[in-house]
Amino acid sequence: MNRGAGRPDALTRLPEASAVHLDVREDIRRGREPIARIMSAVKALGAAQVLVLRAPFEPVPLYAALGKRGFAHWTERRADDDWSVWFYREPAAPAAPREPIGRDQEALDIRGLEPPEPMLRVLERLDTLAPGESVTVLHDRRPVFLYPQLDARGFLHDTEDLERGLVRIVIRRAEAEPS
Amino acid sequence: MTAAAPGITRAPATMLPLSYLMAAAIAFLLACAGAASLAGPLTAHYYQPRVVALAHTVTLGWISLSIMGASYQLIPVVLERTMWSERLGRWQLGMLLTGIAGMVTHFFIGRWPGLLMAAAMVALGAGMHLVNVAMTLRGLGRFSFTARLMTMGFAGFGLTALFGLLLGADRIWKFLPTAFFPTLHAHFHLALLGWVAPMIMGVSARAYPMFLLAPEPDGWPAPAQLWGLALGVPAVVGGLTAWPALVLPGAFAVSAAVVGHLTWVARMARDRKRPRLDWGLRFVLTGGAFLFAGAALGLGLALDLFSGPRVAMAYTALALGGWASLTIVGMMLKIVPFLVWYRVYSSRAGRAPVPTLAQLGWPAAEGLAYGLLTCGMAGLAAALAAGSAPLILAAGAVLAAGSLCFCTTLARMLWHLAACGQRPVPTMGAHTA
Repeated sequence: MNRGAGRPDALTRLPEASAVHLDVREDIRRGREPIARIMSAVKALGAAQVLVLRAPFEPVPLYAALGKRGFAHWTERRADDDWSVWFYREPAAPAAPREPIGRDQEALDIRGLEPPEPMLRVLERLDTLAPGESVTVLHDRRPVFLYPQLDARGFLHDTEDLERGLVRIVIRRAEAEPS
Repeated sequence: MTAAAPGITRAPATMLPLSYLMAAAIAFLLACAGAASLAGPLTAHYYQPRVVALAHTVTLGWISLSIMGASYQLIPVVLERTMWSERLGRWQLGMLLTGIAGMVTHFFIGRWPGLLMAAAMVALGAGMHLVNVAMTLRGLGRFSFTARLMTMGFAGFGLTALFGLLLGADRIWKFLPTAFFPTLHAHFHLALLGWVAPMIMGVSARAYPMFLLAPEPDGWPAPAQLWGLALGVPAVVGGLTAWPALVLPGAFAVSAAVVGHLTWVARMARDRKRPRLDWGLRFVLTGGAFLFAGAALGLGLALDLFSGPRVAMAYTALALGGWASLTIVGMMLKIVPFLVWYRVYSSRAGRAPVPTLAQLGWPAAEGLAYGLLTCGMAGLAAALAAGSAPLILAAGAVLAAGSLCFCTTLARMLWHLAACGQRPVPTMGAHTA
């Protein structure tokens, strides 16, 4: 649940054979999206197994995404570009920090993209959103040029600063989109 | 539920910054052509009417209009505040264009009363911008590194405009107690170090990571830049006007700021996730190399290792032509296509095919502009130091060709503004919903 502090008891007692290791550093270096591999590995985990994910940066969006599936996490920073995160089940694993409103989909992480790519990704995702559904967007700044587009298309949105360089925007389709 | 940010109340303007940037690009074209046509006078002293007219075409027409125009887009993006009044910005542009044209013309013909009137219009335009920015930043909770340097830069801009107005008045009424040339040098350094430097350094801390796809910089370079300029600029200006002993420590403080800035830029370039640099980013990074050379020459002048008007003009060419101008060209190649794309295509994004930013540009012309402008700036600095009229003419011609390529690229981007209402949106195989 924390970053670099003492290893949780659940992991201290863990036999090495129960750890499933997944290294996505090379995928990211080659520009490949690793989320499919990660989610496959998560789905394949046994009840007593943990996923040890190796990434070139701290995979913050995964915390909320896997938290909703009952996974807690413990993070170890090996170097600036080398992070290991243990995702493990706890009997009473806390939920994600804040639950998005409505029937939430997986978080859309648009950090590290050059403008206007973040706006395009969001607007393309919104086009598939049904009334009442919401999407959670993770961005590295408040998207001041996106807000007018959301307003014009009849979407409700709420932005929250999570930490330096990370904001979460929850966007919900309120009514039928105006013609 | 709809909550963007406390300071964001409406969409940032697009045509307002574009108007400033287009006027600035035209001034850049004129200045580059002017450098070629003034090859003879540029071999002598810098204080000649036509050379001073050229200098103000660069500093006011090109650099200041660019920074002010970009601030109408960058303040909302990097400081998350909606500009207080876009109407004031439009009035201010008219005031500035009239004033700058008047100043350049009167410098050119050497008429002081007309110059003073035009300078007053520029000062009024600058004051309007400062009021707009002050009202925009009012209530800003946390002053980040970028906000602090931008605030410092706008204060420097106001003081530079006031200083220039006093210099103009002094040409008529002779009331300043200080010697003329040191006061002129102080005016120049207040503009370069108090206005241009903090704006570029402040904005780059937020904008470069966005474009290079690099982590936001931190560490010792931040206080080095902040304190280097905060202490160095008053020391250099005060040293040039009243207390000469302050010039050297001021120059070292400014050098610390330059080292901090270049360290940041180098780190961002090294740690970037973007594998291939586009021409805009190449301009920006090459500008950093010119800053290194210009700062070294400036420190040499402060240490009396070099002296004389030719070296001073080479220093000016490296700092204003190499660093500031190439950086601004690079930033404009990022900002202008985005503003055009946003104005024309954002309402259709996600619903219909829209072009990418790269498809709005013209990489071949941008690459040609890069080659011509970087070679031209380096050549101009060398030719000015050598005092060779043929070489200055050649470098000026290269610069004029480069600025023409740059302006052509911008015109091609702007064409989308005119064309979008007359034909279907071009698809170009780009993003689709």
